[in-house]
Amino acid sequence: MKCAEADAFIHAYVDGELAGMDRDAYEQHLLACDACSHACRLQGRFKAAVRGHLPPVPVPRGLQQRISGAIASAPPIRRRQIWHAYPRLVPAAAAAVILFSALGLARRGHSPMVFEQALRTYHSALPMDVTGPSCASVVDWFRGKVDFALPTPSGDHLGPCRGGRLVNVQDRFGAYVVYQSPGGHRLDMMVFNGDDELDGADRRTVAGRDVYVGTGRGASTVAFRGRDGLTYMLTADLDQDSLQNLVQTAMFKH
Amino acid sequence: MPFQKLATKTDFEREVMPHLPALYGVALRMTKNEGDAEDLVQETVLRAYRFFDTFEAGTNCKAWLFRILTNTFCNRYREREREQEVLGEVESSEANLGQFVGTTPRDAETALLGKMVSRDVERALAAVPDEFRLAVILADLEDFSYREIAEIMECPAGTVMSRLYRGRKMLQKLLYDYAREQGIIKMGTLKGSPNPPATGSGEQSSPEPTRQIPLDQPIDLDSYRRKKGSET
Repeated sequence: MKCAEADAFIHAYVDGELAGMDRDAYEQHLLACDACSHACRLQGRFKAAVRGHLPPVPVPRGLQQRISGAIASAPPIRRRQIWHAYPRLVPAAAAAVILFSALGLARRGHSPMVFEQALRTYHSALPMDVTGPSCASVVDWFRGKVDFALPTPSGDHLGPCRGGRLVNVQDRFGAYVVYQSPGGHRLDMMVFNGDDELDGADRRTVAGRDVYVGTGRGASTVAFRGRDGLTYMLTADLDQDSLQNLVQTAMFKH
Repeated sequence: MPFQKLATKTDFEREVMPHLPALYGVALRMTKNEGDAEDLVQETVLRAYRFFDTFEAGTNCKAWLFRILTNTFCNRYREREREQEVLGEVESSEANLGQFVGTTPRDAETALLGKMVSRDVERALAAVPDEFRLAVILADLEDFSYREIAEIMECPAGTVMSRLYRGRKMLQKLLYDYAREQGIIKMGTLKGSPNPPATGSGEQSSPEPTRQIPLDQPIDLDSYRRKKGSET
């Protein structure tokens, strides 16, 4: 992202309208650019200051009385006849069928995008929303922020936690936890609810379970569907076989 | 003939009346006149009552009401000639609008934030043209999302982003000018951008100046994504 692009989307970022990879890319730019980072902070402060200087205005008592009086003397609310709605429902239903068909196609074609997101996020080294002191405290931080219970890792199979970050996976929130693997590699785990994002990815069988793999930019991702209905995606700068073995040891045997 | 469940006056009042303060606050800042604001709110609520059968229970009543208010305002209160005149003035002064954030000295920006007074904020907001002012009010004071603002203003989300971008910059520029007039801020000037934005040292930063978004040109996030997708 360049400064001009960051400037164009500065309000969307400050207003919390950027999500997922858009937000990640924006924050990656802010980490590298003091001017844009300063501009963002200032816009946030300016927005708060304007709001603070424009307090709610009390409704004149006379207005409330006039409105209440007008409603009291108005005829009853008219009935909505269903057949009146049909002319609008028919094209709406047709549009919905087309939209859902398109979304279905797009979803199938879009599925491996989650691998791209995992790799991008891994390479972005974005700031953590929460850090240590323990894996349990990092996991606990996600409580109430994601719509699932993030399991607390048993033992140190994935290594110590460095921190966590809330991410968007398509239309929902996911948990992103960064570990230091026993071999010294950074190991990032993204967890989210649902399992259809893996459709279309390269599939293998490891220890009798389906895993999905992806590689790019010097890192590998191994994903699998947990028995708890969650999808787990682990990314590290390891080759696929090494990462598979790590996942098998850390996740399938415990 | 089949009928849906009949909505009552009580249903209407329960849904609509809690939003009266928000409607009046926005109406006042759009019409800039208490009498007109009261008329606008009354007309909005009575139109909502007349068409309450078209409101889908459980959907966003506040956004629905603001859509009626916006339509009523545009049809009845907006001075179209004056609006065009103001827009023309704004467009012709694009070069002077400059960039408040990033081009003024940081001390001046911080001083302005610390010394803003409510009277000046109201005055500056009132001077921002209608479409831009409404976008700023809906986003900053009423906490509507861009999607909701797009529905209320009946325009694409990219246009909402553009109007917010312009509206907030106009507001900042006006406040900065007021502060300079009153001697609150003495340093820096926007004309000619004497203090070009410093660029970061990161690899992803670029030294080009921040761009000016042409008036009401939509900001297109999808285009940006497509462009980035083709680069990777």
